Amino acid sequence: MGVDRRKAAVFGGALALRLLLLVLFPSLPDLLTGRVEVSTPVTSFKRLQEGLFLYTRNVSPYDGGVFHQAPLLLPLFSLLPNSQSFPLPTAVFYALIDLVNANALVTISDSGQAVSGRFYSALRKHIRWDGVSIAAWFLFNPFTVATCLGRSTGVFTTTGILYAFANAATGNSLNAMLALGLASYLSIYPALLFPPLVLLCHDQQVQTTKAPSGAALYAVRHFAVFATSIAGLLGISALLIGDIYTFMSATYGFQLLVPDLTPNVGLWWYFFIEIFDSFREFFLGVFWLHLAAYMGGLTVRLRRQPLFVLTSLLGIFAIFKPYPSISDASLYFALLPLYRHLFPLMRYTFFAISALLYATLLGPAFYHLWIYAGSGNANFFYAITLVWSLGLSILLADTIFAALRDEWEHDNPELRGKEARQV
Amino acid sequence: MATPAALPPLPFNPSRVRTYVLRLPLFTRLVLLAIIIFWLLELQTVWSVVQWGSIIPEEAGFGTMYRLNTYPFIHLGFFHAFLNVLALTPLLERFEAEHGTLTAVALFIGPGAYILIEKFVLHRNTAVTGASIWVFLLLGSEAIRTFKSNPYFSLGPYKIPTWTSPLFACALVSILVPNTSFLGHLCAILVGYLLGLGALKFFVPPEKILRWIEGKLNLLGRLPHYVSVDQKTYGRYGVLPTTTTGGERGTPMSFLGTSQRLVNVVGVAAAAAVSRPVQPTIPPHHQPNHHGTTSPNAPDPMALKSAVRKLRSNPHFLFVHLPHILSFICIVAGVVWLLLLPLNDYSRQTYISENALLPGQVHAYFSGSEQHVFRGYKKELEGILVGQTEEGREGRNDEFTPAVSGKIQSVLKAAGLKVATQNYEYTSSGLTHQGQNVYAIIQAPRGDATEAIVLVAAWKTVDDELNLNGVSLALTLARYFKRWSLWSKDIIFLFPPDSKAGTQAWVDAYHDMQPAFVQPLPLKSGALQGGLVIEYPFDHRFESLHILYDGVNGQLPNLDLFNTAVSIASGQMGIGANLQEMWDHNDSYEMRLQTMMRGMVKQGFGYATGPHSSFMPYHIDAITLQPKGDGWQDEMALGRTVESLCRSLNNLLEHLHQSFFFYLLMQTNRFVSIGTYLPSAMLIAGNFTIMAIALWLRTGYYPYSQQSPVGSPVEKPTKEEQAADPPKTSNDTPKPDTKNIRERQLALPLTLVVGLHLLGLLPLYIFNHIPHTYYNPATYTTILANAVLPLLLSSSLTLTHGLSTQQSHLIKSFSLLTLGLFLSALATLNFSLSFMIGLLCAPLSFVNRINPHSVSAPLRHVLAVLALVLLNLLSPPVVLVVACAYFGVDVESVLTQAAFGWDVWGVWTQVVVCT
Repeated sequence: MGVDRRKAAVFGGALALRLLLLVLFPSLPDLLTGRVEVSTPVTSFKRLQEGLFLYTRNVSPYDGGVFHQAPLLLPLFSLLPNSQSFPLPTAVFYALIDLVNANALVTISDSGQAVSGRFYSALRKHIRWDGVSIAAWFLFNPFTVATCLGRSTGVFTTTGILYAFANAATGNSLNAMLALGLASYLSIYPALLFPPLVLLCHDQQVQTTKAPSGAALYAVRHFAVFATSIAGLLGISALLIGDIYTFMSATYGFQLLVPDLTPNVGLWWYFFIEIFDSFREFFLGVFWLHLAAYMGGLTVRLRRQPLFVLTSLLGIFAIFKPYPSISDASLYFALLPLYRHLFPLMRYTFFAISALLYATLLGPAFYHLWIYAGSGNANFFYAITLVWSLGLSILLADTIFAALRDEWEHDNPELRGKEARQV
Repeated sequence: MATPAALPPLPFNPSRVRTYVLRLPLFTRLVLLAIIIFWLLELQTVWSVVQWGSIIPEEAGFGTMYRLNTYPFIHLGFFHAFLNVLALTPLLERFEAEHGTLTAVALFIGPGAYILIEKFVLHRNTAVTGASIWVFLLLGSEAIRTFKSNPYFSLGPYKIPTWTSPLFACALVSILVPNTSFLGHLCAILVGYLLGLGALKFFVPPEKILRWIEGKLNLLGRLPHYVSVDQKTYGRYGVLPTTTTGGERGTPMSFLGTSQRLVNVVGVAAAAAVSRPVQPTIPPHHQPNHHGTTSPNAPDPMALKSAVRKLRSNPHFLFVHLPHILSFICIVAGVVWLLLLPLNDYSRQTYISENALLPGQVHAYFSGSEQHVFRGYKKELEGILVGQTEEGREGRNDEFTPAVSGKIQSVLKAAGLKVATQNYEYTSSGLTHQGQNVYAIIQAPRGDATEAIVLVAAWKTVDDELNLNGVSLALTLARYFKRWSLWSKDIIFLFPPDSKAGTQAWVDAYHDMQPAFVQPLPLKSGALQGGLVIEYPFDHRFESLHILYDGVNGQLPNLDLFNTAVSIASGQMGIGANLQEMWDHNDSYEMRLQTMMRGMVKQGFGYATGPHSSFMPYHIDAITLQPKGDGWQDEMALGRTVESLCRSLNNLLEHLHQSFFFYLLMQTNRFVSIGTYLPSAMLIAGNFTIMAIALWLRTGYYPYSQQSPVGSPVEKPTKEEQAADPPKTSNDTPKPDTKNIRERQLALPLTLVVGLHLLGLLPLYIFNHIPHTYYNPATYTTILANAVLPLLLSSSLTLTHGLSTQQSHLIKSFSLLTLGLFLSALATLNFSLSFMIGLLCAPLSFVNRINPHSVSAPLRHVLAVLALVLLNLLSPPVVLVVACAYFGVDVESVLTQAAFGWDVWGVWTQVVVCT
């Protein structure tokens, strides 16, 4: 009961914090919704409202080229009262989604997959936080709170991803595939998580049932489930919208071809503003290939720790995806505490965190100089997004280094604690 | 792990370079050191080293004999010095190693050098500097020795005598590098030839004397890297010379090595002189010593390495003293940097960047009969003022009554403008400010109402004087402008009743951002491109124009607007211009510094300095023109200035964007831009970050560094590595004890820092919301709370938790980190504020938790009290400043409040740490 009471306290506290912020600063949600760091063209709540307005008046929500999100969100949000006149229900809904996400995190943590799996058991598995602490890290992370108050629809993707992880870690491979299907349906990139996720499911199955089935067959079967779930969701969407081509090009086409170059915390927008149009297709291909390439490498190299691969991939997405926001970073930061046992092996935490803090403060300042004061320019903000990405990259590289070092010490017990150089 | 085979091996072995550098003989080291020192000296601007030490034929004389010795050490620039060092090192090193230190000293410096060099240097007219003379001299002697053993290069069928190679190098250098003296180099080579041929043997001091000196002084024993006269022939190679030149040990002709080396040497010299970064490819069988040529600043890495080694063995210095030194240097450098700015070398002449402005290119026609109109308007307004004054009262009722407002409206209507009014009411600190803005628009005959210029004449100036002349002038100008057909932008005339609230209300409403108690505007125009404020609060003539430009929150208008105003006032109209209340600016360093400091203080406080300040937050560039002094300029001159400025603004094709938005002005025509001044604020912010990083490292590394394996100082050795170190601890179950100590206990410090910063919101809220009558008690309460709270907090913390050293270090680290973060973020928004707060907080990085064990109890208490008093002295003024600011100014912006308030929080946090 003790643990449950703690969990209730953490969850209740998180809910209270969100509602308190809403009550104390009623203009805060609208402010955050307008911030480019929180809302991207594919997750913006403002755009969702535009789509909702069109949808409730029986016009195609994709008319006007503002709305680019999955159509299934529309019936969901049309059930909620108008957020302009009644902000509270929407806020409570988003806060609940956060709690659901935190619950998934607790499940992942309690499964213990982060520290020991089928092939591998971390050396320092006693150094870890319990699920509630990890949920607290997630729920009280300012980035998560900002995302929640900014009502970014990215949180639904987060839910899909976290539930996929949680189900895979507890052995419900079917549910995991369905959840990942949902996440991929909402925003394409989670589909890249499929290979490591299948590995995680398979490892878990082998560990629990002791009756290994063929890995290839297993993967194919799960891919079928995954594809079917996406197809099902697309089918429902087609029923809702009617014109499947418009909806596909307005959502997935928009995410793949990156036509909207509104500033965000990522690296794409500035690059594609600067580039000559004739090279645009080529570099689109290169950027996407770059994003996808990490999946194969990490999956193979860290075969023994599929959940760590998934975490690192989320970190990479937070840096390199076309429309990143702080909600992606908050998802990565949510999973990092699972690897508490790697923290002692990390070397540059302080510097990475300092860089992130600097970027967090200077980003809005420079955006203000650029957009409002008019005394700065786009380079100011872009420089800060570079620092932000740099901070994330250092953190990511450092955790991967720590994981490799952990594996290496596991394999070479005699060299434990000795100095080693990476070449 | 070994270097992977995929990487190509380096062309030289770094460790050999290192040994080479470490084994450089004494004289070579001294020469290199001297060259570097003189180069560093040359960096400053006060005393020209080149003037002092180079050989200038006209100045030759007995008094300037020293130049003969100093000129080789002095170089004209970094590349000159660098390349010469590169070329000289191997040659000089070789010479010294073969001939002994004393010989080298005697030959290169002293009477020998006089005779040697006087002959060929003095007949030229250019100033000679640089060690290249030596380079070529040594090169010449080397070439002769090579020639003796290996007379020819064969290049195909041709045989080239090897002694010509320095000549080629010399020719190449003089062709490729500008400003080299071909003649000088040639002379040097000639002397080198003579030296090599043994013709200059007689200059060499007799060996006997050298030996005697050496023996008497025991030089070999005392000086490191000293090369004895005895050693010289065998030198460093440790092999006997291949050819013995019998009996001639004083000037040995011994030759070691192959011609290949010489080619290399020449190659190096050429590469060095030509400033091509070509390194000679050194064949594997080559002597290691020449690899030294690849190390650029020979003494530096040496010093660095030994310093690093020393550091590693002294972690206390590394983690405790070094950061203090570094951050202190940062602060000092930041302040010195700021003090350097007024110098001519660091500030710049202002210039008009936007070509469309064309300041002063048109004739201003505002004169003659307009003066009668002006007087008429003034009389009418005066009449109203007299009329509204009660009988028998002293003075005049200068209030902006509805009668005045009505008069202004009727005048504007009569002139044919569209007129509208706006009511507003602000409540701040329990005081109510209310009034009515009157404004009128001239619609542009040649424009489409998308852009507008604002002319503001407030009824009361910033100093609360009646601006009767200013208002009358604006009315006259409105009538006058209306008749011109050349306006391509709308011109708005705004008459607010006061200088602070009225303009703010109007600008807010113009952008539909007004609060509830301010009326929206019934009449609008296009985007505002610029604003001019006219103040003329006295009746006599004026001498010069005082230009106000500071905006709210330290935002500044585009420098182009200021420059236009200055150039029109002083250039076209012949009226002097002042800034920052510096009435007699003589352009001296002190005056410039004072002007800059005044500007910084105003910018740092960030409150409105005039009606123009309200325009800044909306990215509208605006300035105030105030006539000052008693001279012969009349209101018509001011009117012409305004007309000409309006014409310039009217020319604009796009919003002012060309010139600087971040600058410090130190004279009407001198400024420094952000790139030049920002480093000083960043250095001050950086000092906090340095301390924060150092403290972080210290918590993780230093206390255990004695037992932990050697890690590089930057990386903190991980906990597990340390845990693995004591042999008894097994990795699977590290003792909870050790774990507790080593793990950084982050929870408490983090909560404390965040909590205290949130606590800082409290005084901010209180000061914003209580009526002004309570300000004084509130300020004193805050000061008291400031003094008491940290004591309470720290004692309660110590009692309940037993605050460990590590935790207090962490608290300090985090708060310094946040301080550094905020300051650097602030520096980009408001440089001056960041700088001032940074200086105020500077002592914070040096306060430490007083160690209870090291200091006796009474002393400890005294110290603690002293530190507390110091920190409290720093914080209350800031609180008072906030109070004053709120007293006088009602429309403070949120950011300034936050910044000041935040400063209070920072101080609180630190006070906790210190006790």
